[in-house]
Order: sequence, then structure tokens, then C-alpha cells
Amino acid sequence: MVETTASDRMTTSLAPQSRLAERLAALRNTMSAWWFLLPAIVFFVGYQVYPIFRVLWISFTDYEFLSSDPAQFVGFANYITALNDPLMWASLWRAALFTLMFLPGTIILPLLLAILIDKVTNAKLATFYRVVLLIPAVIPSTLVFVLWKWMYNYQVGPINHFLVDVTGLFTLQNAPQWLGGTPLTLPAIAVMEWWWGLGYHTIFFLAGLAAIPKDLPEAARIDGASEWKIFWHITRPALAPIMMILVVLRFGSAMAVIDEYLIFGGFNRDTPTYTWTIFMYDQAFKLGLWRQGFAAAIGMIGALGMMVVMVILIRIFRPKG
Amino acid sequence: MSDAALSAKPERSWFAENKASIIRHGVINIFMLIILAPLAWVLMMSIKSRPDAMRGDFWPRKFDFGTYAYVFEKIDTLPVNLWNSIYVTGLTTLFTSIFAILAGYALVHMRPKGGGIIVAALLVSLYFPTRVVSIISVYEIQSYLGLINKTWGLILPYITLNLAISILIMRSVFQLVPHEVVEAAKVDGAGPVRTLWEIVLPMARNGLVVIFIVNFVTAWGEFLLCSTLTNDQTARTMPVVLAGAQGGLGQWSWPNLAAVYMIVVTPGIIAFTFAQKLFFKGLMEGVVKG
Repeated sequence: MVETTASDRMTTSLAPQSRLAERLAALRNTMSAWWFLLPAIVFFVGYQVYPIFRVLWISFTDYEFLSSDPAQFVGFANYITALNDPLMWASLWRAALFTLMFLPGTIILPLLLAILIDKVTNAKLATFYRVVLLIPAVIPSTLVFVLWKWMYNYQVGPINHFLVDVTGLFTLQNAPQWLGGTPLTLPAIAVMEWWWGLGYHTIFFLAGLAAIPKDLPEAARIDGASEWKIFWHITRPALAPIMMILVVLRFGSAMAVIDEYLIFGGFNRDTPTYTWTIFMYDQAFKLGLWRQGFAAAIGMIGALGMMVVMVILIRIFRPKG
Repeated sequence: MSDAALSAKPERSWFAENKASIIRHGVINIFMLIILAPLAWVLMMSIKSRPDAMRGDFWPRKFDFGTYAYVFEKIDTLPVNLWNSIYVTGLTTLFTSIFAILAGYALVHMRPKGGGIIVAALLVSLYFPTRVVSIISVYEIQSYLGLINKTWGLILPYITLNLAISILIMRSVFQLVPHEVVEAAKVDGAGPVRTLWEIVLPMARNGLVVIFIVNFVTAWGEFLLCSTLTNDQTARTMPVVLAGAQGGLGQWSWPNLAAVYMIVVTPGIIAFTFAQKLFFKGLMEGVVKG
């Protein structure tokens, strides 16, 4: 980077142009840069930036989508109502509970697998493993959910088939009910997410492992260091940046899960899948006249709560030095 | 097990190394099996006869390969839903990729003032649960534009689903192209569009494959927006209809469901398998370094 900037400066100073022409050229360059950026900005602002600020504004009003009355500014009333509602806290806790179930498995399993695959020397096998690993990552989200809805199915699902017919651990009467808002729903979804992210995260770690110079662990081994010591003192620090990105990103996606709960859960307020995202969706698109002012406040509380924890996570996991 | 002792005795170390490698490959293959098993189950389900479908055995007693033809003939909304998926995904992928290429190129090689702010905004949008929180406002926008229950209207919000990450990927891929190359093209009199199209883009092929695949996968499987912004089954995409289908008898019998599933899931997997070499290179250039 430093080199290119230096050479850039050289070419500009060597060019036999007057300062005015130079400025015009720079202006034209900036103008066309903005033309290049325009379509992306229009969509990014229109469908991401504006909606967030619009929702923020709605959260301070008593806006109801299906109501013909104009929305009134109500200040923090929606936030106070939400924070006094035990369901708000319960729904945040449920999302956190899911995140706690999901995060360890989605970091540790891929890490383990990556360390194993990194030692595979046969090039063809290594490629084959990588291709299989990324297959779940190229299955579109809804199709992953449909797939696992069938895996967990009470009648024909292979998991219950294994538990009832093959091993006989359960009978048809007491076979586990995995989905549909039972206490098993959150762990069942967490396992599905492990499966989904396993390959992609392994590839991430493999990229990190590839950056470690091979002679470093070799030298340590010759000096008599144990595999565990090599992992702890060489591999772990080298993977720390990737680990941090994964923890923070996956914390974010786990806390904000919604599609899975819509497909596997439903809108019963007492079920474990009724998290803040479903609470918001329920208020915004299902109940009464669509109390979107209140729903917006729920969404903002959930989002801000998440962001606070994410900043703390970044501080904890930031590589030292 | 001390490795120092092993390296002193070469013939035993060969044996020990082999043992470790067998265990290693064993564990890896268990993981591979776990990844492939659910897909294998659906594949088998799609070619089972109906009585076998309820029996639960992995290997059917009687095969029925007619399911695939049957679902096209008998499920009347299937072609509509498939077509919805195809054109919504196709156009979303096309537009997002073009916008991301243009924006990524501008950010790296044209360096406009304020580019830093844009990059920061894109990054923040990745960490904020934008998709979930913005749905309230996106519904309002679509309703204002008269796009509720219109399939093609989905394309507009779909474009933004991966726009930020696509721009950031293209940005880090374009950063690998030296400024000198761009400057040289400029000296030769090539405009920014020609420089991008003829010189820089061919060098960013791997990154392109990544954003194509990422956008395809997201749009093909999108659930939240599609199920919120459309009401009729005929206006929805195939995966969303599949997610709502209850397995049972008649047109949605289990083998039929499984056949539809295989039809929807295989194009992506096949495309990826062919493009995997470029995809991995692009992933390393764009995602991991960026």
C-alpha cells in the first residue's frame, strides 16, 4: 500500500499539467466515482439505512399500520411499556439462551475439524473434504430448515426412527417431540445450526491455519513440546482474530434468529421460540391493528441490547497487543 | 506419547504416524457422513414407494422413480413457484453483483472523498440486526409502492440483503489489483468503465464467483421477506411454499415433498461443485483477508 501511494504521487507530480487541469481531472474522477457508487447507495440507503431510522422514529409513536388515525408522538412510552412487560425480558432471555447453546458448538467443532483436516497431506482428499464441507453452506437457508424439519419429524424423521425402531430407546408414545415449541426446540435448532455452519467455519479456521508457518510447530515438536502446548501457544494465538470475528458475527446472527422460529415455533407466547424477534413480528404483523410503534420499540431494545454485548465481546476477544 | 522419543526410532514412528492418520481420517469421515446424511436421506425418500416412505428404513424395499415426473404433472403451483424462484433469484444476483462491482471498484481505485464513511456504514450494517428490525419499514415501503403480494417486488429488498457484504468482498478483491495497472490504463486513454470491464474485472474473477454464489444462495432461500410481503401461494418462491407444506397424503406425500426438495436444492450444489476451485480462491482473497 505504501509503495503504491508513493508511486501515485510520482506520476501526478511528473505529469506536465497545470494545477487547474489537475483539479478538473480530480473532480471528474470524484464525479464518476459517485456515479459508480450511486446504484449501491440508492438501494443501501433506501432499504437499509432509511428503514432503520424510520423504525427508530416509529418506536416513539403510537403508530398502528391498519389504523386510519394518524400516528401520535408518544416519547418513550413504548419503551417503558416494553421494559415493564415481563414478556420482553423473557423473550430476550430466550434469545440469549439459544445463543448460549449455539455458540460453543459452532466454534469448537469446526476448530477441531480444521486442525484435523489441516494435517491431511493428500491433496485430492483435502480438496474432497473441503468440497463436502461447503455443501451445507451453499444450501439456501429455508431449505436447511425444511431439511431439518423432516429430520426431526415425529412420524418419518430419521432421528426418531433411530431412537424408536432401531435402538428401541423410546416407544412411539414417549418419543421426543423435537420441534413446535417444546422445551427441546431450542437445542434442536442449535444442533441444526451447528450442522449448517460446520463446514463454513471449518474453512475459515483452515485459512487461518494455512497462515501459520509450518516450521514453527515442527521446531516446537523437536524441542519436545506436547501437541496441547503447540495448540495453546502457537495455533490458538494465530487463530484468535478469526475466532473473534466468528464469535461476534455468530453472536449477532444467533441473537437475531427469526426465520427458524417462524418455521419451527409459531406464536405461542409461552414457548421457548417466542424470542424478542418473534415478539416484535407478532406485534407488527399479527396482533390487533398491527401495533408497529410498540413493535419498533421491542426491535430497538433487542437490537441495542445485542450491540452492547457485541462491543463487550469485541473488547474481551480482541487479540492482545 | 513423546514425539522426541518417536523421532529417535524411525521404524516405530512410521507405524505410530500411520495410526494417528487412520484415526484422524476416521474422525474426519464421521463428520463428512454427518454432513451428507440428511441430504442422502432426502434423496432416498424421493425415490421410495409410498408405503416405504412411512416405514423409515433408509433403503427402500421398492423404488419409485416416477415421483419427479409426478410432482410436475400433479402439483399445479409447482411450475409457478419454481419460476418465481428462478427469476427473482436471477435478477437479484445480477443486480447485486453489478452494484457491488461498481461500488467496490469506485471505493478502491477511484477513491472518492467520503468513501471511508461508506465503508464504515456498510460494516456497521453487518453487525446490526438490520434484516429483522427493518422489516417493519420495508413492509411500509413495499405497501406504498403497491408491491405487496407482487413477486417481482421482492427483488428490491432482496438486492440489499447481501449488498453490503458483496461490496466489501469486491473491495478487498479489487485491492489485490495494483493501482499501477489502473493508472496505466488511464494513461492509455481508457475510461473508468472500460478499465473496469476489460482490465480489472478479469483479475477479480474469483471474487465474482463468491458474490454470485453468496447472492444466489441467499435469494433462493429467503424466507422472512417473502412470507411477510406476499400472501398467495402462487406469488411465493419454491422454498417458502415447501416450508409451509405439511407432509402427508396426496400431492404432498413424503416422496413428492422430497422430490421437490431435490429439484430445488441440487442446482446450487452442482453449480458450486463446478465452481469450487474459483470459489475457494475467491473466499481466501475476499472474505478471509477482508
